[in-house]
Amino acid sequence: MELSREKLLLIYRNMVRSRAFEELVIELMPQWKIPASWMSGIGQEGVVGALSTLLEGDYVTYTHRGAYYFICRGSDPGRILAELYGKRTGYCRGKGGRHLADTAHKIFGKSGTIGGHAPLAVGMATAVQIRAEDAVVMSFFGDGASNRGTTHESMNLSAVWKLPVVWVCENNGWAGTTPVSLTTAVADIAKLAGSYSMPGRSVDGNDVLAVYEATCQAVARAREGNGPSLVELKTYRIREFAEAGPFPTGYRDPEEIEAWRRRDPIERFRGELLGRGVLTEGMVEEIAREAAAEMQSAREFAEESEFPAPEDAFTDLYA
Amino acid sequence: MRTISFVEAMNEALREEMRRDPSVYVLGLGLHLSTKGPSITGGLLEEFGERRVRSIPISEPAVAGSCVGAALAGMRPVASFSLTDFVFCALDEILCKAGKWRYTHGAEGGMCVPVVFLQTMGGYVRAASEHSQSPLALYAHAPGLKIAAPTTPYDAKGLLKTAIRDDNPVVFFQHKLLGGSKGPVPEEEYCVPFGVAKVVREGSDVTVVATSYMVKLALEAAGSLEERGIGVEVIDPLTLEPLDIDRILESVRKTGRLVVVDEDTERCGVGAEIAMQVVERAFSSLKAPPERVGNPNLPVPYSPVLEAAVLPSKEKIEAAILRTLGG
Repeated sequence: MELSREKLLLIYRNMVRSRAFEELVIELMPQWKIPASWMSGIGQEGVVGALSTLLEGDYVTYTHRGAYYFICRGSDPGRILAELYGKRTGYCRGKGGRHLADTAHKIFGKSGTIGGHAPLAVGMATAVQIRAEDAVVMSFFGDGASNRGTTHESMNLSAVWKLPVVWVCENNGWAGTTPVSLTTAVADIAKLAGSYSMPGRSVDGNDVLAVYEATCQAVARAREGNGPSLVELKTYRIREFAEAGPFPTGYRDPEEIEAWRRRDPIERFRGELLGRGVLTEGMVEEIAREAAAEMQSAREFAEESEFPAPEDAFTDLYA
Repeated sequence: MRTISFVEAMNEALREEMRRDPSVYVLGLGLHLSTKGPSITGGLLEEFGERRVRSIPISEPAVAGSCVGAALAGMRPVASFSLTDFVFCALDEILCKAGKWRYTHGAEGGMCVPVVFLQTMGGYVRAASEHSQSPLALYAHAPGLKIAAPTTPYDAKGLLKTAIRDDNPVVFFQHKLLGGSKGPVPEEEYCVPFGVAKVVREGSDVTVVATSYMVKLALEAAGSLEERGIGVEVIDPLTLEPLDIDRILESVRKTGRLVVVDEDTERCGVGAEIAMQVVERAFSSLKAPPERVGNPNLPVPYSPVLEAAVLPSKEKIEAAILRTLGG
C-alpha cells in the first residue's frame, strides 16, 4: 500500500503529538495539577495507523488508555488537558476527567466499565445503517475487554445486523497486573472473529503502516456495507497500569519491557521515513519542537482556565 | 369514547411516534414475525420495515447499550424488553451509560440520550422470584433516568408518547396484569406530561399513593372502606422521576394521613422515599405515622398461598389505611 508523503508525515506527526501530550501529562502528575490518574498509551502509538484510515464523519469509541484517539481526530489538546485539570473549559466542563468526549469529532465519550463501550459502538453503527449513511464506527478495546460479555454480544450483534463496525483490539499483553495468557483462551484475539463470521487479522501493532493497511481493508469492507471485521494490534504497555494511585508494580520482567521498548513504534517509523527520504533529521527536530510547543500552549490554556463553580455540579443531569 | 386495551394503547403510541419521527425505531424479541392479536409492536414491521423494527438476540447488555450509542448518534430507540427481571443483565448500560452519560461528559455538544426502555413487571402470576419483580426503586435511585409506570390505557399511551419525545432516558414499566386491561382512549392525539400526579379518587380521610397495578388494588380497598364511611384519596404519581411531590403534599395536608402502596420490596423503596419527603415537608399536617404496603423484603415465592402472603393485596391496604385511623 503506497501512501502519499503528506499522509506519511501526518501519521508520523500525530504519533509524535500523542506522545508529547502524554509525556506532558506524566510530567504534570507529580505536581498534582491533575487531581487524578492517567492511563498511558505510550508505546502503543501504532494505533495512529488505525485512526488514520478514518474519514471526518466516522465514529470512534475508545479504551481507557492513551490520548491518540483525540489527538488524531483533531481534538484540541488544550481542552483535553483542561478537562484533566478539572477546569470548566474542558471537554466535559470538569465533570468527566479522563472520560473525555468530543462530539464534534464523533467521539461520544468513555465507558467507565472495561468493554462497556462495545454496545454503544453497535448503536452508533445501527444509527448509520438506519439513516443509510456511509460512515463507519471504529471501536477500540483491549485484551482485558476481550473477556467481557458485552464485547462478545456486540461483535455478534454487529455481524448479525451486518453493521459498519471495525473492531480494533489493542492487545498490549497486560490487563492491569494480569498477563493475557492467564485470562484469554486464544493466543490471537483476532481468532474470536471466526465465532462471529467476520474477518479477523492480527498484525504487529508497533508497525504503524501494517496497522494502517490491515484496518484500511476493514474500514473499506464496513463502508461498502459488507459488515464488521476485527483487527488485533499486538502491542505492549510500556508504562504501569496508571501513573498515580495504589497500583502494584514489579510484576513484569524488566527484560520484557526493555525488549518492547526497542520496538518503539515511533522510533521504528521514524527510521523507516528517514531511510525513505520522507523525513530529514531537520524535519524530525522541527516536528518534535512543534509538538512540544503545541502541548505547552495546551498547558497554559489549562492552567489559565477557571475551575467550575460548585453550583455547576447541579446542572446538566437532564436535558 | 372508544375503549382499547393497555397494550393496544402502547402500540398506537409507538406507531404514531414512528410516523412522526424517522429517528424512532424499536427493538425486541421476535419482532421479525408479523403479530396476530394485540401486542405492543403489532403491525409495526409491516409499516416500517426491518431496519426500524429490529428483532434482537437474547443479549440485554448489547441491546440496551446499543440504544445508548444510537441515541448519542441522534436516534430515538425504544427497546421493548420482556420481563424487567432480565433487564438486570443490562444494569451497567441503563444505570451508568444511559443515566449518567450526558452528565459525565458535561453535556458536551448538547449531548443527550433519548432512549425508552420498556419492560414488564410484577407478580401475581405464579412465576416465582426471578420473574415477578417490580424494581421501580432501583431505577428511581439512579441519577439521570426518568421512570414511568402507568396504570390505565389512556396514561400508557400518553406517557409513552411523552417518553419517546423526551431527550432523556426513560424506564417505562407495564404491569403483567395490566396489559389486557381496557379503558377509554380518545381517537385524537394527546400526550400525558411527566411529573403530574393524577388523583384517581377523591377522599378526605386518608391519602393513598399507589404505583402501577397497586392503583387498582388501592381503588378496591377505597371502595370497601367507603361503605364504612371512610373517604380515601388515591393518587397515581404516573412517574417516579420526576415525582409530583407537591400534589401528594397537598393531599396529605388535607387528609393528615398517608399510605404508600408499592409492589417492590419495601426496604429503601418508593414508600420510604415518599413517606420521608412528606415527613420532611408536611410533618405538622400528619395525624398518624405514614404506612407502607409492599413486599416485606422477600423473593416472590411460587405457591399461590405463599405469593399472596408476600405481595400487597386489597386487604393489606385496607388494614394499613385503618391503622392510620387508629383502627
